[in-house]
Amino acid sequence: MKRLYISIFVLSGLFFSGCSDDFLDVDSTEAIPADPALVNSDAGASGFVTAIYNQFLGWEMSSFGWNAVSSIISDDADKGSDPGDAGGDKDIVDALTYNASTPSFQSTWEANYAGINRCNQALAMFPKLDLVTPSLKARLTGEAKFLRAFMYFTLVKGYGGVPIIDHLATVPISEDDRKMQLTRKTVAEVYAFIEQDLNDAAEALPLKSAYTGADVVRVSKGSAYALLAKVNLYQKNWQKVIDNCDKVTGYSLVSDYSLQFKKEGEFGPESIFEINGVGSTSTPGFGIGNYSVSQAPRGAGGWGWGFNTPTQGLADAYEPGDVRREATIIFRGSVLYDGREIPSTVANPRYNYKAYSSSFYNQEFTDTNLRYLRYAEVILMKAEALNELGQTDAAIPLLNQIRLRAKIGETSAVSQADVRTAIWKERRVEFAFEHDRWFDLVRTGQAEAAMTADGKNFIVGKHELWPIPTSFLREAGALSQQNPGGY
Amino acid sequence: MKNFIFSFLALLLLPAYMSGQAIKGKVVDSSGMGIPGAVISAPNSRTSADADFDGNFTINAKVGEIIKISMLGFDAVSVPATAEPMSITLKESGDTALKEVVVIGYGTRKKIDNTSAVSSIKSEEITKMKVANASQAIQGKAAGVQVSTSDAPGSTPSVVIRGAGTALGGRNPLYVVDGMPTDNINNINSNDITSYEILKDASSLAIYGTRGANGVIMITTKAGKGKLTVDVESFAGIRSPLKKVKMANSDEYVRYSNAAYSNDFPQGRFSANQPYNTDWLDAITRTGTYTQNNIAISGSSENVKYFFSVGNYEEKGILNGSDYGRTTIRNNNEFKLSEKVKITQNLSVSTIKNTPMPLSAFTNAYRQSPLVPVRYADGKYGVPFVSNGVVAETGASFNNVGNPVAQLDYTNEQQQTVMLQGGLKLDYDIIKSLKFTSQFNGEFYTYKQYNYVDNLALWLSADPTRVQSGYDTNSLNTNTLTRNRDQYFNWNLSNYFTYNKVFADIHDVEVTAGIEANVQGTREKLTIDRKNVNANSNYWSLKDVNVAGSVTGFKDEALNQRRLASYFARFQYKLLDKYLVTGTVRRDGSSQFAEDKRWGTFPSVGLGWIVSKESFLSNVEPINLLKIRGSWGRLGNQNVPLNTQLLTSGLDYGGLGSGTTVNSQVDPNLSWEIVEELSGGFDFEVLNSRLKGSFDLYDKNTTNTILNVKPYSSSGITVATPAHVGEVSNKGYEIALRWDDKINDNLSYWVGGNFSHNKNELTSLKNVQLNPIIGGSLGNGQNTKILDNTSVGQPLGSFYMYEYAGVDPTNGQMLYYKADGSKVAQSGLDELKDKKYVGSLLPTSNYGVTLGVNYKNIDFSVDGYGVGGSKVYNGKKAQRFGGENIEASTARDFWTPTNTTASNPAPSNLTPFASTYYLESADFFRINNITLGYKLPLKEDQFISFCRIYVNAINPFITQKFSGFSPDVVSDGKLVEGTQGVELDAYPSLRSFVIGANLKF
Repeated sequence: MKRLYISIFVLSGLFFSGCSDDFLDVDSTEAIPADPALVNSDAGASGFVTAIYNQFLGWEMSSFGWNAVSSIISDDADKGSDPGDAGGDKDIVDALTYNASTPSFQSTWEANYAGINRCNQALAMFPKLDLVTPSLKARLTGEAKFLRAFMYFTLVKGYGGVPIIDHLATVPISEDDRKMQLTRKTVAEVYAFIEQDLNDAAEALPLKSAYTGADVVRVSKGSAYALLAKVNLYQKNWQKVIDNCDKVTGYSLVSDYSLQFKKEGEFGPESIFEINGVGSTSTPGFGIGNYSVSQAPRGAGGWGWGFNTPTQGLADAYEPGDVRREATIIFRGSVLYDGREIPSTVANPRYNYKAYSSSFYNQEFTDTNLRYLRYAEVILMKAEALNELGQTDAAIPLLNQIRLRAKIGETSAVSQADVRTAIWKERRVEFAFEHDRWFDLVRTGQAEAAMTADGKNFIVGKHELWPIPTSFLREAGALSQQNPGGY
Repeated sequence: MKNFIFSFLALLLLPAYMSGQAIKGKVVDSSGMGIPGAVISAPNSRTSADADFDGNFTINAKVGEIIKISMLGFDAVSVPATAEPMSITLKESGDTALKEVVVIGYGTRKKIDNTSAVSSIKSEEITKMKVANASQAIQGKAAGVQVSTSDAPGSTPSVVIRGAGTALGGRNPLYVVDGMPTDNINNINSNDITSYEILKDASSLAIYGTRGANGVIMITTKAGKGKLTVDVESFAGIRSPLKKVKMANSDEYVRYSNAAYSNDFPQGRFSANQPYNTDWLDAITRTGTYTQNNIAISGSSENVKYFFSVGNYEEKGILNGSDYGRTTIRNNNEFKLSEKVKITQNLSVSTIKNTPMPLSAFTNAYRQSPLVPVRYADGKYGVPFVSNGVVAETGASFNNVGNPVAQLDYTNEQQQTVMLQGGLKLDYDIIKSLKFTSQFNGEFYTYKQYNYVDNLALWLSADPTRVQSGYDTNSLNTNTLTRNRDQYFNWNLSNYFTYNKVFADIHDVEVTAGIEANVQGTREKLTIDRKNVNANSNYWSLKDVNVAGSVTGFKDEALNQRRLASYFARFQYKLLDKYLVTGTVRRDGSSQFAEDKRWGTFPSVGLGWIVSKESFLSNVEPINLLKIRGSWGRLGNQNVPLNTQLLTSGLDYGGLGSGTTVNSQVDPNLSWEIVEELSGGFDFEVLNSRLKGSFDLYDKNTTNTILNVKPYSSSGITVATPAHVGEVSNKGYEIALRWDDKINDNLSYWVGGNFSHNKNELTSLKNVQLNPIIGGSLGNGQNTKILDNTSVGQPLGSFYMYEYAGVDPTNGQMLYYKADGSKVAQSGLDELKDKKYVGSLLPTSNYGVTLGVNYKNIDFSVDGYGVGGSKVYNGKKAQRFGGENIEASTARDFWTPTNTTASNPAPSNLTPFASTYYLESADFFRINNITLGYKLPLKEDQFISFCRIYVNAINPFITQKFSGFSPDVVSDGKLVEGTQGVELDAYPSLRSFVIGANLKF
């Protein structure tokens, strides 16, 4: 007996000294380790890019906060909802009384950088994957670069110069990487970086027509040139706008404007870059989190929260007979295209029609898509650039293409100045609630006048840029400064 | 010559007599069974001995000298030694039961010989307070131990021992139940516990190495002894909120809200005459009831000790519809297979059935307007719709708060937990002084839950104008069902030798050495989401059902295993029965760290000196015991996730399939959190041991505290991962005093108390560029805590916010102090410069008092508990987005143009900045327990040998400064990054009254 126990003990001791390190090697079972060998396949590589697209479904990236800083802030939209329901900060964003701690500016910052991280993770992983089809790897690299450029474009339009994170930082972080993450670059440097990414993407990406099946949701060569044109537009590089617009081929305007905001119109011939929501009643879902419900009719007979409502000013901006008015705005007491009645008891007079989903209208995850780039914009960008270069006569027919599709007849503008104003006005009604208005107002210098007309106090020298979030400035210390104007 | 010979013999014998002789005897219990392990001490001869397996002992003492015989669970007796074999009968006792021996890791130790700080709580203290979890019952009973409780049925109390050294979530102590390391004791019936011991200092904790840093609570469950006994206990009680926050009534709400909406509705949004005035807290609560019934059968024979118990606890919570029930079954047996081999087996089964109700109903009741009815006259649920100034079934909604009564009515959730815990222990006396122990323990946990949501009913209840035909069943589910299954198996195997020998009568040596393996097995979680199921739970089987049409989500998770491999050794040495040395060392390997960061060594040393045994004190009558202790040790904490860089998956996108990225940054240098502690103290007993006390001082230093840290926001990494952050110090002292006196046979009493003080401080940061950790989120963009470069010198859990400077008499706006001391409104603040540290949620002191009287057959006792020096943030009060109710105190005194000196600002729907306006003192003193019992005068040989009837009041009184529900806030238990110390949800503490009886057959 004694010998038995002693030998058990000695044996177990030996077991420990010999194998205890094996005993302590525990493999992860709850998630896959970030080991390139485990994702070294076409599907593995594709997953890294899918995750970037997925970022655009996020509540922070594309929904409540994004509506605040791109839409409610402008003259197209009011906070909406009940007077007592501020939605956290939507009231102060609407009133232009926000500050650097206002959550929507912080969430937008963080969401875009989270997306940029996904791009950088993909771009860092691809060189380690030797079993991926080379042509696929090239295309995926192009997609990642386009999406990274798109997010930097959002950041530079909103915040001005921002830190450029073009690679993954070392762990623990090196001093160089720390400076990279915390130092704001100039606006010009950010634009140069965006253009570099877009040129790479344009080279690597196929035409939209080359995509089949589910792949139609991916970005294509046309997406890269269209975004490049828009980036040129913001820098007033008019000739480049024209050149790049001309490279966007294979697209056309759809005849029914309203169709492209419905499920059956998604990824149509006009669609250049579109975020694809998938409606479902289960969690996790793959629609844009609460995008529809947060903007849906509120109060008795409604089903949503009623934020981001079209202003009277926008409703009045449409010329008589403009089909886009009815396609953009849900009016209290009206009947929707699918027969749904909006009772007169709902809280607000108008709601955003482009956020409506017929099949999943009151779900967190709906099939509503976000249209970020449409061929109509390529046409209007080219028109604007031609007009700025003095080729007003060439610009007018382009403008008329858009107007005729909206059933409002040709423009009466003739002079360069009038055509310029007409194009700007056309952009407002064409792209209303497509997250463009605020940036367009700032870009074109109309912001102060438009805000004044909307009853808001736009401070020149301050409100052109959003505040840099306090949370970032606290991290950055002396490396970065707040935007001007006394945020 | 005869005389000479006689004298010579006397001379020969005298030294023998003087130096003592072998006194032999047997210690038995009242049934005549030998008591193995009884301690026999001869104070004058300064020796002691242990009884063997049969209760036989031999001790070197003088005939006629008083020897003392004591044993865990029995009254000690003192008798004069006789030359003939002695027979000593010990009587079982509750009172002095556990004073003599303390349970330490991998063994027991006579308390007198122990060099470390251990708080022992007697079983009767644990069962005196009629609560479900033993840890709640010890609140205030042990110096240096801070217990926070929530009175939600089935909740787990948080226990912090000697201050918070780590800020991570894993701050709870390790529980060791009969040798099984486990996370909580929700499955343990307090009536089955025989000892509850809290190891507090490094000397006692180092034997637990990597898991000792937060303290260890050793729980020993009962064993049988003596003749067959049946113990029965039954009680029943009622519960109600201890403190309710007074909310505004309809009139006050109307006045306040109209002022808040004065811009949008100059004429007033609500008219003065409202049809309803609802007290929502009353509407969702009821008087709670609870009962416990317990039967234990125990006893022993020559070779077997047995204990069997069944207990049932049932509670109807104060929140309408919440039920909680627990049934425990325990079987502990000990078999003596031979003179040398003993096998101990224990098995516990507990089943918990919980029908929880969402605690957010309390928050909704706090927020919902009193204008809204529970139901309209037509039976439909009230909603916050206003039409023409009056609440009605249609109109504009004026807040986003649901109807809490509807919320409870449509909650249908049930949880069932089964926990099996068991162990086998073998003790083998290889030779007289060498024992081998092998112990295997395992626990198997299984959990199932369902949550049925009646979407259609909720949809209808949210708007009285809705009719069922308007429900779009094409896109919407009529109902959804979530079912969960969760299970794991953990095991622990330890093998160790214990060598105990006294050399040359004065060198008492005990050495323990062994190895241990611990596996926390893979936790498997299965979740199934379904839709449009039959409302009757009997028809939820998926047999032969088309899964595609019914199942909307399916998740099968396998959480990571954790493993520990350990070697440990302890050396205990006692010289001349008064000089004590303990040394321990443990070497642990943890699977949680990278391969080269895995192993850590945790040594400790403890010294003790029993001064009262020195000759210069032995004759000082008033001093019965004086012992000085000191110790140093190093401990570790490995409670972090597996340190492997993982992928984040499930990031799918319209038709493209599965998406994957990396959204965390694992620090390859992560290793143990190391705690070093230096501590010392003394124990004393004076005046015939009537006054007993102890004093302890400690200096505890967490040299590399682990916190979850995120990379900079622009890195885009959004998941925080553990990293070594800095150094945290806890310094404090503990005092415990107790006076027991027996005035005559009929009357005895005690008065006792303990006080502990702890100073917590972040003393330095490892990385000067630490990315700020923002915590205490109020869920509205406002945060109340921070840990960054500026936090050095502050306690952990410090609140960081603006300092409130009163109401601006000109417009009623809230004013705040800027860094330069000037007062500004919200818009003039600079978040980077004007926020300050305004105190911590960690108390600097806590204290307990106890007093009791026994008169004849009546016993009476009172226990109280208090904390001092902590703050609490009234987060729920700071949550008014607009349209929610306000507290009556706010509604009755707010700024208006005619009341410019009011203490509260003008009503506003602006999200208020986190400021000291909402920060309140969390100090409180509460009477935890009052017990009055009466023992029926029964004879021991009657069928019913014992019967005690009692009444018990739990938490009958509290004094608190905090205006919320309870300053004893547990919340998410996350000190820095979480909401600990922030009362966001309103859950009241409860007051209970109980009546019950104990019987013995």
